[in-house]
Amino acid sequence: MATTARKLIKLTIDGKPAQVPEGTSIWDAARNIGIDIPVLCHSPRMRPVGVCRMCVVDIGLRVMAASCVRLCEEGMNVDASSAKVEKHRKMLTSLLLSDYPENSARESSTGNDQLLALARKFAIEHISLPDGAAGHARGSDMSSPVIAVDHQACILCDKCIRGCDELQHNNVITRTGKGYAARIAFDLNNPMGESTCVACGECMAVCPTGALTNKPVTSMRAAVGKQRNQKRGEA
Amino acid sequence: MKLLTKMMHLQEQHGAVTDSMLREMSKEEGVPLYRLEGLRGFYPVFRATPGRKMQVQVCRDIVCMMKGGPQFCSKVKSALSNAADVEVEEVSCVGRCDTAPAATINEVPVSGSVEAITAYATGGKPLPSNAPTTTPRRWSTDPYANEKEHYSVIKKFLKPGDDRQRDEVINILKEADLRGLGGAAFPTGMKWDLTRKAVGRPKYVVCNADESEPGTFKDRVILEELPHLLIEAMVLAGWMIGATEGIIYIRHEYAKEKKALQQAIEKARRFGALGKKILGSDTDFDLQIFVSPGGYIMGEETALLEALEDKRGEPRNKPPFPVDYGLWGKPTLMNNVETFAAIPIILERGAAWWGAQGKGNYKGLKYMCVSGDVAKPGVYCVPWGTTVHELLTLCGGVPDGKALYAFSPGGASTNFLPASKLDTALDFKAMQEAGSSLGTGAMVFMAAGRDVLELAISEVKFFRNESCGKCVPCRVGSHKAVDLVETALAGKPQPDLVALLQDLNSTLAQTSICGLGQVAMVPLMSVINYFPDDALPRLQGSAGRRK
Repeated sequence: MATTARKLIKLTIDGKPAQVPEGTSIWDAARNIGIDIPVLCHSPRMRPVGVCRMCVVDIGLRVMAASCVRLCEEGMNVDASSAKVEKHRKMLTSLLLSDYPENSARESSTGNDQLLALARKFAIEHISLPDGAAGHARGSDMSSPVIAVDHQACILCDKCIRGCDELQHNNVITRTGKGYAARIAFDLNNPMGESTCVACGECMAVCPTGALTNKPVTSMRAAVGKQRNQKRGEA
Repeated sequence: MKLLTKMMHLQEQHGAVTDSMLREMSKEEGVPLYRLEGLRGFYPVFRATPGRKMQVQVCRDIVCMMKGGPQFCSKVKSALSNAADVEVEEVSCVGRCDTAPAATINEVPVSGSVEAITAYATGGKPLPSNAPTTTPRRWSTDPYANEKEHYSVIKKFLKPGDDRQRDEVINILKEADLRGLGGAAFPTGMKWDLTRKAVGRPKYVVCNADESEPGTFKDRVILEELPHLLIEAMVLAGWMIGATEGIIYIRHEYAKEKKALQQAIEKARRFGALGKKILGSDTDFDLQIFVSPGGYIMGEETALLEALEDKRGEPRNKPPFPVDYGLWGKPTLMNNVETFAAIPIILERGAAWWGAQGKGNYKGLKYMCVSGDVAKPGVYCVPWGTTVHELLTLCGGVPDGKALYAFSPGGASTNFLPASKLDTALDFKAMQEAGSSLGTGAMVFMAAGRDVLELAISEVKFFRNESCGKCVPCRVGSHKAVDLVETALAGKPQPDLVALLQDLNSTLAQTSICGLGQVAMVPLMSVINYFPDDALPRLQGSAGRRK
């Protein structure tokens, strides 16, 4: 381990003084002093990508900065929780909710859907944006014996992508398409069950929404039974 | 560059990049399938299955919409619906707004009526030549009277072992107050200086020749008619920062311009202005051209870098900036075509001369792309500080004796202004004070009778269509913005629509990663603010779409 001491940076977050080693993100620095900045696309286990923008903070520049990717600078004065900042977070949450399906498989099983938690935090009861979830247009993929994919509940936070390709090195998941039509895909946009997925479960463990969840075990047993029967048939 | 170049080649050869091709490529290159799918799915040039023999791509953006009418694309489609080998697709601006309505047929630009385009597509009329001009015009930013004089500025400054020459160049650029002419207006001298002082090695020089914003086509003319100025400036940039490699990133719609550039590069190599020990100096530098697999977003400099690194062209979070962390994480000096091309004459004649070319207190010369309701659309090189009114007069005024109603001074990302602002000077600051910005210098004139609300919405649609989808505000917000106004135009506006659009615009502007998302709703908001009579009865009342 290198032991070179890193320079210490002093800054202020929501009026509280903070001191962190150079190279620390604002999100981490805030966490150190007990300020939890909401985020959907980041976890301390992962390389930050700054795509959900929920963690934006005001650092007095022309535009806000995503605190998960923005590094602390000496003398920075960070507004992480004012009404001005929360207003944008609420709009971002509403945007995602306007495309979100009626039922989240995560909320109905383990109750920890992070997008719905934000909806509660911001007390969003009515969304005045056009409904993009009607007819479940983005579809779902139930081809994997163990993992259910609900594309309508995917917010493209890229956590499954980093979980699969960077944490587990299984190299299966990507974004495909572009813009509003962008979605997650497996290998060459194959059904998950026909891809090189090894069902390690990392993607559904890191997924913050109902997009990637556990399938009920019964269906897995059924699938195993089917394979056995097929093998018997071949023999 | 390797993967995308290979995929472009496959697409060209076979009309598609199929699954089996990607499986083979995955093994050959040792790259997982998901990465190749990520690229194929992102770049519009690629398709998974071959299409028909004749690919007709019709521009759907603002100027073509004005000239061909809002139904132009669907008219071409229905006219060609029975043609066996023809496929028609609507695409974003192809950079030929001066000959709108424009289309491309198998990458060859064509223009004209529905009938003319149909005739080209069905073989009734041979496709026009796509060879570069052999008679380039004389432009006032070219210091050279003839080809023999080319690259004199390199000879003047590239002297071995003397850093004072570099200091002098930086000083001249700063004094000339040259700014990024791709629209961002970042001081060029400062950018050159920062990249020169950046510590990483190796360093790269990149030219952004991916102009794709509706109304913008000036770089196209510079690439075709003045490629030697671009090459010369890139050599100087390499010498300045200590780079030996330069890349020109050009949009695929500019095949003709690419040919002109390629010929000029070969000529420069023969002349000794590219390669080893350039013109007797101790500087080595060479150039390569990279053809973009498509998408406006690659004009955003960090998205462009991601594309060069064989990734999905999604803008990076900044800082760090390319001057420190550019291509492959190394210091990279990137300028727009027009910015580079201005440099030889500034160094040849000095900052004072450049300053004197502007009007009044404004310095220098600017290439403007003029289109829309104007008699002589095209690219004009004018003094900085020329007024919009003078530019309009220079271009023959509004045709058919109509009055001017509005203009968009700098591309899809700039506020529409009313004709009452005609006396504004063409200048970054002056245009800002008038309530808009000069952007890329894409001036679209709109005559009386034009529906500025519909035209502004077409600009928002452009950004929605070209959003990379990386961040939530731009991906979802631009889509919802269009949905909201379309519903209103259908006669069913939702209550408090204008307030909602204002909030949405504020979130897009404040929280999007890059300039695209930040400006996606700008033209729409400008019509609400500056043309309330055109906008409010239809966004707040039930007046709906004009008949």
